[in-house]
Amino acid sequence: MMTYIVFILSVIFVVSFVGFSSKPSPIYGGLVLIVSGGVGCGIIMNFGGSFLGLMVFLIYLGGMLVVFGYTTAMATEQYPEVWVSNTTVMGVFLLGLLMEVMLVLYVLKSEEVGVVFEFSGVGDWAIYDTGDSGVFSEEIMGVAALYSYGAWVVIVTGWSLFVGVLVILEVTRGD
Amino acid sequence: MNPLIFTTILMTVLLGTMIVMMSSHWLMIWIGFEMNLLAIIPILMKKYNPRTMEASTKYFLTQATASMLLMMAIIINLMHSGQWTITKVFNPTASIIMTSALAMKLGLTPFHFWVPEVTQGISLTSGLILLTWQKLAPMSILYQISPSINLNILLTMAVLSILVGGWGGLNQTQLRKIMAYSSIAHMGWMTAVLVYSPTLTMLNMLIYIMMTLTMFMLFIHSSSTTTLSLSHTWNKTPLTTTLILITLLSMGGLPPLSGFMPKWMIIQELTKNSSIILPTLMAIMALLNLYFYMRLTYSTSLTMFPSTNNMKMKWQFETKRITLLPPLIVMSSLLLPLTPMLSILD
Repeated sequence: MMTYIVFILSVIFVVSFVGFSSKPSPIYGGLVLIVSGGVGCGIIMNFGGSFLGLMVFLIYLGGMLVVFGYTTAMATEQYPEVWVSNTTVMGVFLLGLLMEVMLVLYVLKSEEVGVVFEFSGVGDWAIYDTGDSGVFSEEIMGVAALYSYGAWVVIVTGWSLFVGVLVILEVTRGD
Repeated sequence: MNPLIFTTILMTVLLGTMIVMMSSHWLMIWIGFEMNLLAIIPILMKKYNPRTMEASTKYFLTQATASMLLMMAIIINLMHSGQWTITKVFNPTASIIMTSALAMKLGLTPFHFWVPEVTQGISLTSGLILLTWQKLAPMSILYQISPSINLNILLTMAVLSILVGGWGGLNQTQLRKIMAYSSIAHMGWMTAVLVYSPTLTMLNMLIYIMMTLTMFMLFIHSSSTTTLSLSHTWNKTPLTTTLILITLLSMGGLPPLSGFMPKWMIIQELTKNSSIILPTLMAIMALLNLYFYMRLTYSTSLTMFPSTNNMKMKWQFETKRITLLPPLIVMSSLLLPLTPMLSILD
């Protein structure tokens, strides 16, 4: 089972995405977002990115999702939608689950799966520890490169986030 | 809006388009598009009424979907070519998805439904920015990937856009919707020639921006958003009635005016590439555009449109000063004799 751990985690990832895409109340969306964040962290860590997984838990779940949870709790309604309360929500959720189950069966049964890119059965999902990158971990070098060669990216993304805050304040300010 | 915040947000719109046009990394291009989208939302919502909010929401939803499709195409391109540089997109799937995403951003058929509704819901100045500046960034990406675009899809979208732009504008009396349908049709002309000669796309874009800028400035000058209020221009500033006539005929593509230059060049380029039926159809469908421009000129400049008696004696309290209107009018009507200069572009 451990060889296919990435595949299993990706299935849970997609199922939780279906869970919030079927649009229950935001509180329940936040709940499955926590699950998907944790599972996504597991996927990244299986590829050797321990630092990035930690970033997901700390910044994404522990920072952004906490703020989201608080604001949603302030704006919540009296009878929030669950997945089973509304026929539409339950229908979309079951449809998404059905699509995922069919895809999983297709991947498990057939030799080659070629949708947009090809991978041969479940074998491609297993991570083998080949390619010794030496003493340095690849992802730490990537983060270091972000702040040296990628200074322009940092400036642009920083400015986008700043302008994002300005825009949101401007839009919600009203008259 | 606080002037400092407004300036910052406007500069961010400019910065977003500049980042799109000058980046060589696909991710930076996507970031540029998002920055542009994010910063133009408060500009669209300058006045706080439900119409502008609805229009901004529609714009945001369609453009965000287009950005998602663009990201998907970028990732498929990455998977198949292993690099992030802007070149022609070698994988056909990625190329088709990217073309659809950029068509959604431009407002080509079948993704044109947001253009009239968004343009109608916002103020004239915001509509001006929407229909001119926002077209620059997607067009620059289409220019850069033009060697690899699937011809069938692009030509289908272009011809359908010219058709929809012509037919859709026929039943309109609101000036902003007329300009929106005109934009759809012009985008169709631009993308039709993209695969054959991207230089002509850029020429058409330049002349289209000049003419649309002129039209919007004339509308802002007389504060008119409907055909009826435009028909009162003879009372406010009689000179602008002639200018409206000339600019509208130029937009329709009539010969001695500059609007004829891109159409002429595009038809010539298409016939050089042995497609005869296509430019014939395009030229015939441009007549639909010309019809509703002519209807505007009829009610504005050629006749004194029937109005109530108190409309015939209007007070003009203060004249709005519109920047650069005379040079714009000159450029959007008198550039045709400069056509031989286009030979320097090759």
